[in-house]
Amino acid sequence: MVGILTCPAEVNASSIPAARSKRYSHFDWLLTVALVELEYREKLSSHRSLNNMAAPMRLPLLPLSKNWLKLSGLQRAIHSEAVTQEAAYPPVIPSYTAKSKSAKKLRETVYHDRVRNATSVSEKLELLTKVQRKKYVVYPQTSALNADRWYQHFTKTVFLKGLPEKFSSPCDQSVLSKIKSIVVNGILQERFYVKKKSPFLQREQEHFVRPFMTNLVLGATSALGAENPQLSLSRVDFDPQVNFYWMRGETTVPRGHRRGRIDPIRFQIDDQPHSQIRIPQQLEEFCPLESHASDNVPVITLGPDRLPLFTRQYDNRIFTGSKVMDPCCYGHTQFHITGGRFKRSEFKQANAEDQIEVHLRANAISSLFAWTGAQAMFQGFWSKEDVTRPFVSQAVITDGQHFSFFCYQLNTLALTVETDKNNPRKNICWGTESMCLYEELRDGELVGVNENVLTLLINFLLNRSNTQ
Amino acid sequence: MTLVRPGKEQPPDTVQFRIPLEMTKCDVKNYLEKIYNVPVGPVRTRIQYGTNKKRNHLNQRVKRPDYKVAYVQLAQQQTFLFPNVFPKKDVAHEPGSMDEIQDKFLEDERQRQKPDPRRGGITDWFGF
Repeated sequence: MVGILTCPAEVNASSIPAARSKRYSHFDWLLTVALVELEYREKLSSHRSLNNMAAPMRLPLLPLSKNWLKLSGLQRAIHSEAVTQEAAYPPVIPSYTAKSKSAKKLRETVYHDRVRNATSVSEKLELLTKVQRKKYVVYPQTSALNADRWYQHFTKTVFLKGLPEKFSSPCDQSVLSKIKSIVVNGILQERFYVKKKSPFLQREQEHFVRPFMTNLVLGATSALGAENPQLSLSRVDFDPQVNFYWMRGETTVPRGHRRGRIDPIRFQIDDQPHSQIRIPQQLEEFCPLESHASDNVPVITLGPDRLPLFTRQYDNRIFTGSKVMDPCCYGHTQFHITGGRFKRSEFKQANAEDQIEVHLRANAISSLFAWTGAQAMFQGFWSKEDVTRPFVSQAVITDGQHFSFFCYQLNTLALTVETDKNNPRKNICWGTESMCLYEELRDGELVGVNENVLTLLINFLLNRSNTQ
Repeated sequence: MTLVRPGKEQPPDTVQFRIPLEMTKCDVKNYLEKIYNVPVGPVRTRIQYGTNKKRNHLNQRVKRPDYKVAYVQLAQQQTFLFPNVFPKKDVAHEPGSMDEIQDKFLEDERQRQKPDPRRGGITDWFGF
């Protein structure tokens, strides 16, 4: 192994062989260990300077001549400046491979430094999501009781009822009438004019709501492009994949060969909203980064098993809906469709009317946390390098008739036990209750159209970032 | 159908029952809703296998019976906490009775067994 150490003295983390393929060879492992030890010894020895150690001298036994000092070269040594020598002993650092706590700490430190010093965002993400372990799969649309409190605990989110003040401003009548016509025509088209086959059971929203929402999103973005020039530069995705992987809290392994060891609890969200709008600049923040530090996030002492949540092991994916290099990397609005298993009538039948709002809140919190978290990670932030500016996104959840509006501000990604110790920041979610857009469809006309819903929708879409 | 204390800690809205093996989730839900008028949310069941490993004095294997456990979540934000069925009672005996003399004697014995508090917790095989 000594023969491999022909590398230059200056070694940094980027020179450690990057994973060309998923499988490391033993050679790569040995090289990594050797390079790491060399690097740390070099670093530590440059910080330490041992005291000057004069080499032990032996005076000659024969009678000394006058010039014996000069001849032996000691004169130069005695009268010259003190020579700073390199450290004679290697610095004491923990081993990289031993079965000890200090070795584990050193491995973690090396890993974190590798992530910090990664040259590109995709390399950072690869390092963070490389190792697969069992993780809890969090479904945004869930029928679990009181799921919103659990999800708030998992994502460290404060939920505030109502929306920020900027959405309560009235909007222009012409704009309102334009959007109203788009909405009314869309609903009538799907529910009245077009003759459709009977829908699949528990998939009615695919039949009626999906095409209406597609038309609404496209129509509204193009109609409001004049009012909000950022919308004309935006990208609209349909059925995008939004994935996020994070760790929160710790648990003791109950059984198995790793029994008794402390493991972080891993989560994964795999979401597929109906559509989303992405913009090239970040939306304006609703409140400063450190605000709402005094508000309480529900704390749940039981493990996620009891929600119930189930574990699986598969690809750890972090994705906003488009790849890292996309210029439209910031999120604007997501549109979610609920229904099928989660119809209002189903909740009422199951004796769970109060869970309708819980279901919507849980959906909003988890989807928006995943989207904003993925946006933040695509900018290079992670739990040890917390966000320096808040990431803001909005969501509209509907079942065709009832609409609810949510907005989310991501203030912190530091959710692991180590990073959360002195972290006063909390993520914030604002949301409304579900509002009826129309009361019923009678004789080819919508009765009781609620203009507040349309106003909110318009204000949501007109929300823009201040930076040019 | 027996209400039991959960072995592992459950959320406050979850109640644990032991039910016959032939009963299903729907049966449990209907039973509780119709007979006891309890608003029931989701019900989850599992079958617990009883061990066949223990042996009796004739070295025959003795099977402990299998049973089904139902975890019932209560709807409408209701909670249930399993009560403490055997609370400790501070029994004050009447003065002069045999029980009081016995209690006093036992307490004196316990006090005699304790080491000298002036030694500050050091064992008595130290010292002179």
